[in-house]
Parts: sequence; structure tokens; C-alpha cells
Amino acid sequence: MNDQVQMLLDNVKQFCEQNIKDIALNIERTRIPDKIFTALREQGFIGANLPSSSGGADLDRASYDAILFQIAEYSPSVAYYVYMNNSIILPLLLKSGKKELAADIISGKERVGLSAGNILEGVGIKTTFQETAIFPSRLMISAGNDGSIVLLKGTFEESGRKSLGLRGLGIGIKSFSTEKTEEIGRKEDIEKIFVESSWEQAAIFLGLSQGAIEKAVEYTKVRKTFNFPLKDYSPVAFRLSELKSDLEMMKFYLFSEDGDREKGMMLKTRAADFSRKATKYALQYHGGYGYLEDFGVEKFYRDSVALNAVMFRTDVDRRILAESIYKSKTGYI
Amino acid sequence: MDFDLSPELEDYRKKVREFAIKEFREDIAQKHDLEEKYPDDLRLKALKNGIIDFTNPWKTMLGIEEMCRVDPGLGISATVPYFGAEILLLHGSDYLKEKYLSKVAAGQKIMGLGVTEPGGGSDVAGLKTNAKKEGNKYILNGSKMFITNGSIADFFVTLVRTADPNPPSKRHRGLSVLVVESVFKGFSSSQLKGKLGVRATNTAELVFNNVEIPEENLVGEEGKGFYYVMEFFNISRVFVAAQSLGIAQGALDMATEFLMEQEKNGISVSEELKFKLSEMATRTEAARLLMYKAASYLFNYKPNPTITSMAKGYASETAAFCAETAMEITGMTGLSTKLERFFRDSKIMEIWEGTSEVEKIVISRMILKGDGNE
Ligand SMILES: Cc1cc2nc3c(=O)[nH]c(=O)nc-3n(C[C@H](O)[C@H](O)[C@H](O)COP(=O)(O)OP(=O)(O)OC[C@H]3O[C@@H](n4cnc5c(N)ncnc54)[C@H](O)[C@@H]3O)c2cc1C
Repeated sequence: MNDQVQMLLDNVKQFCEQNIKDIALNIERTRIPDKIFTALREQGFIGANLPSSSGGADLDRASYDAILFQIAEYSPSVAYYVYMNNSIILPLLLKSGKKELAADIISGKERVGLSAGNILEGVGIKTTFQETAIFPSRLMISAGNDGSIVLLKGTFEESGRKSLGLRGLGIGIKSFSTEKTEEIGRKEDIEKIFVESSWEQAAIFLGLSQGAIEKAVEYTKVRKTFNFPLKDYSPVAFRLSELKSDLEMMKFYLFSEDGDREKGMMLKTRAADFSRKATKYALQYHGGYGYLEDFGVEKFYRDSVALNAVMFRTDVDRRILAESIYKSKTGYI
Repeated sequence: MDFDLSPELEDYRKKVREFAIKEFREDIAQKHDLEEKYPDDLRLKALKNGIIDFTNPWKTMLGIEEMCRVDPGLGISATVPYFGAEILLLHGSDYLKEKYLSKVAAGQKIMGLGVTEPGGGSDVAGLKTNAKKEGNKYILNGSKMFITNGSIADFFVTLVRTADPNPPSKRHRGLSVLVVESVFKGFSSSQLKGKLGVRATNTAELVFNNVEIPEENLVGEEGKGFYYVMEFFNISRVFVAAQSLGIAQGALDMATEFLMEQEKNGISVSEELKFKLSEMATRTEAARLLMYKAASYLFNYKPNPTITSMAKGYASETAAFCAETAMEITGMTGLSTKLERFFRDSKIMEIWEGTSEVEKIVISRMILKGDGNE
């Protein structure tokens, strides 16, 4: 890891301590508050990876991933918000020539959501549709049934259901009434973006895993059963140490490797599976307290599985990885 | 060896399934999950319709599985008002049975079991709540944590310390079980909100501040409380295995339905996903057989704690595995269906009534004592 990345990690950690830590629970209960959007913008996190000609900060891959990783340790919802803007929404808008809207997003004037179900599954547009939306807003990006990617303007209705994870983004099925649609790309564009942002996705999986593991390590130092702290029991100590070792190795890879697409897919596949395992053990070692929202560990458990659904298409992504290894069509039966 | 259920049990299983499908509608399940509200009407309906049937423990076990298969939160809510009843049934005086247990069986009262404390759940003998005998009553002080039905139950079968352990290293000595009514002066409870899952069930912290308990409310003998509770866990863990199996089977049902739908729509399903489904089905079946074995020992009055812990431990891990794997198979679709609730509900199985680690402690201890060798 180079000095620049380490410095960035330290700075973002400080940012999270000041802006996110104390309200992390509220973010999940009531969606990301405006002051976080302002703080993200002021820090230059929105657009961090984009070229300065587009109003971005021109950060390299590892530095941008450091931001996502570090924010995810405190709030996977906020990390995903940064990722979806920087890696999906802004590149799509810029590619389709919608520079003004992109600038408005970077400056905080405008916010755009994603209809994730559509984007990944390619279901059709209707004047009124009900779809799983990430960060429902009056502007949404969705997929058309003709292979197009469209920008929708309209209104949405909140549903009563709470989403499994990323609650800060208000994911759920919303009824959306479309007033206007505009094509901004093709499905291949989003597919490409999705595969090429494997490093970023891995950074979020690893950041949230770190959040969960750190909590478990701290808790097992102080919680006693049968007169011994939990850390004295070999299954607890060994499992958490193994998880921490795996995490450190993947972090090293995340921050040291070049941005090769195949390596990114490799890391993302490992990190997606790892996050589910790590968060599960972290919750387990908190016992009954782990089951309560107040202890802030169950959030990582929910988010890891929700993020696996949103960012890791178990069959499709594993096949893409296999094909890049075999360099031929593979794993399709 | 016959793996088929008797016609009577098979009919009962079907009846419970029909009841659950009819009554545990998705909108109802969602509402109770969202509002963290106990469905008292369902408790009464289940009782009235003969869904709760204590005459045959096999029925209780199968009923729990079938209800949790449709919705774990509502299924557990319908069956949990009786939690701890076996302690009264096996060791309570006729007076206690008449005053408390009969009312619960008639649906007039709800009960709870108070063992866990803020300072610890796995280490039962380390509990701090104490009851001092003064004249013909006990004065109770302390608190209990994570108590199911905590703010809705009328009374709690509560494990407390009535004497110092003698010798001090034998901490499980000196513990007793008392029946504590929620209307007794000095009793208070506060609901714990924000649970990951089983949010239709009520969970609370109980505080006892100089609560006076009449001596008749002592269950069985003083100092035997630890044994009564451990004996109870050997029974209730079979029922937790049933809850777990319901969740595993429900998740398997949903994953199967999803993949069948994909195939119907001409989307080819990879072997990788089919293998995941096979593993879910195999583990569920293995857990069911283990549960039947534990139940068979228990219901024939030959309880086998090793097999019971294996059944509970394995079934609970299977529930979490199946719910997680079903989420993986269904991807984005699973996020906005009831499967996500199953996923949240499943995790508690590995925690309550003996965590997975505690089950492994019991199993290894028994095996190393030679109890597992035939
Ligand atoms: C929703 C809910 C409902 C509940 N309902 C009830 C109820 O009705 N009545 C009741 O009495 N209790 C109830 N409980 C409490 C439950 O039984 C306890 O949470 C459980 O027994 C674990 O205890 P703990 O939470 O104190 O965890 P701890 O005992 O603190 O354990 C923490 C972690 O350490 C592990 N651990 C502990 N000791 C060891 C060891 N020696 N080796 C390896 N690992 C170890 C545990 O497995 C766990 O993973 C409920 C809990 C919840 C969450």
C-alpha cells in the first residue's frame, strides 16, 4: 500500500468518526440525512474517481477504493451511495452527454436513484411500474425492455416494507409514475460498468467485513462467560483471527494490485463470499446482543447479504470470472 | 425402522399447514414484522382450531415445523405462550399447575421463561438474580434479559439463586425456580425493540426490585433449579430444531419455486445453482432425521442430551444455511419477497436455547465422558 492510500484511509477514517459514527444507527432507521450528503460533497467524495475535466478529483483506483472501503466500515449504505454515483450514475450520464446533470449531482443540486431490479434483470418500462429501487428519487435510472438504459423523471410512493439491507438508501418496492423517459445508454454499457467496478464492489464488501470483525474482536475482549473472556476460548479466538487474517490479505491485494479487470473479479468473488461469513460470525459472537439493532453488528450481517444480491450475481459473475481464466466460453451448463 | 408418519400425524400435519397458509397471510406477517407487535389473535385462533395440541408431543413438534415453514415469526408467536410449561408440568405442585398451567392451556394466560441475564446467557449457573427467604416468602432482586413474552406474559418461570453455592466452585448448586407474576409489586419489564428477526414475538428485559414471592410459588425443591432448567432445555431444544426445520424447509420451498419459474420461462438454470438446491434439500432432510431421532428418545422417556444437542445445533445451522443460500439463488428477487424475512428470522436459531457453541460444548462433553459410545 503506498503512502497516499494510507494517508487517505486515515483521513477518511477521521471523516467517518466525525460525521458517521454517532449517527450510523439513525442512517439505517431514517435514510441518509442531508448533512451527510453535504459532507460527502465537501470532502470531494462524489466524483472522486472522475477526471477533473468532468468536475471530479481524478483519484487513482486504489485511492478511490480506499474511500469506499473506509466508509463501508462505518456505513455500507453511505459507501454504496458514493459507489452508485461515482461508478454507475455519473459515468453513464457523462457518456451520454448529460454533463449538466452530472455537474448538478457532483455539486449536490440533484440526486438520482437506480431501479436495480430492472438494471440487472432487464424488465420493461411502464408508465407506472413497481420495481426494487435503490435510493428512490424523482430521477431514476432504469433499464428498458428493448435493451436501453433510460433516465426516468416522475414520482414514487414509499412502500411500508423495510428492506433487508442498505436501509439508509431506502431500498424497496416503490410504485413509480413516470412523466418522462430519455435513453442514456444501452444495457451493455451498464454491464461493462458493473464488471469494471469489481474493485470498488470488493472494497465495499471488505470494508463492511472489517466493521463487523473489529466489533467482534472488541466485544470478545470484554464479554465473559464461565469466568473467562470470550477471547480465551479457542474456537472464538481462532475463528476471529482467521477472519482477520483473510481480511488483511485481501486488503493488501485491494490496495497493492494494479487495476486489472480479471484480478478485480477474483477479489470481488472472494470478498462477496467472505463478507457473508465474516458478518455471520461477528454477530454470533455477540450472542443475543448481536440480534439487536442497537449493537450495530446485525446491520453488517443484513447488508452483506443485501449487497451480495445487489452487487454480486452469483451465477453471472462467477461465469465471467471463469471465462476470463479459461479465455473461452465456460461454466454455462 | 419406519420413517413414515402415522396417518393421524400426517393428517394433523396437513391441517396445520392449511391453517398456517390461510391465517399467516403475507400482509399480516409483514405488519407484525414491521411493527414488532405480538399477534395475540393468532395465538387464540390456533388454540381454538386445535392447532396447538399438547396431547401428543409429536404433534407439537410437527405443528411448530409446519407453522414456521409458512412464517417463522407468526409460527413461533402462536406456539410460544407456553414456553417453560414443561418445568411446571414435571415439577410444579398441584396448586401451581392449577393456578397457572391450566390457565395457559386454556388460553387465558401467557407464560414466559426467565433464565438469561444481562451478564450472561450461555453461563446459566453464573446468574446473579437472588431470592432471600423471609418468613413465608422470597424477596427477589435482579434482572433477566431477552425474555420472550417479557412484556405480555402474566407470569414467568424464573431461575434464581436462593443459596450460595456449596462449595463455591459448584456454581450450579443453590439455584431454584420461582413463579413470578407480572402484577407482583416491584416487577417491571421493558420491550426490546429493533430485533433482527422474529419481530412478531415479544422480547423484553425484566427487572425485579424487592418483589415478594409467596413460598408456594417455589417450583419443586429448593436448590434443584439448575437441573430442572437443563432438563427443560433437553425438551425444548427438540422444538427449536422444529422451528429451524420449518425455516429451512420454507427457504427450500421458495428457492425451488424460483428455479422452477426460471425454467418455465425458458431461462436455463446452471448446475451450480441446482447443486446448491440439492445441498439445501439434503441438509434439511438430514436435520429432520436427527430431530426425529432426538424426539423419539425424548418422547419415549429416554432423553438423550447428546442427540438432542446435535439435532438442535445442526437444524439451527441448517436453517441459517438454507435461508442464506436461498437468498443467493434468488438474488434481487429474494430481497423484496418474504424470503428476506426468513433470512433475518433464521439467525436466532443459532443463538437461543443454547448457542451453536454451547451445543458443541454439550456434545463433546458427553462424548468424552463416554456417553456417546455404544
Ligand atoms: C430474541 C431472543 C429471545 C430470547 N428468549 C429468551 C427467553 O425467553 N428466556 C431466556 O432465558 N433467554 C432468552 N434468550 C436469551 C438466549 O437464550 C441467549 O441470548 C443465549 O443463551 C446466549 O446468551 P448471551 O446472549 O448472553 O451470549 P453469551 O453467553 O454472552 O455468548 C456470546 C457468544 O460467545 C459464545 N460462547 C460463550 N461461551 C463460550 C465457550 N465456552 N466457548 C465458545 N464459545 C462460547 C456464545 O456461543 C456466543 O456466540 C433470548 C434471546 C433472544 C435474542
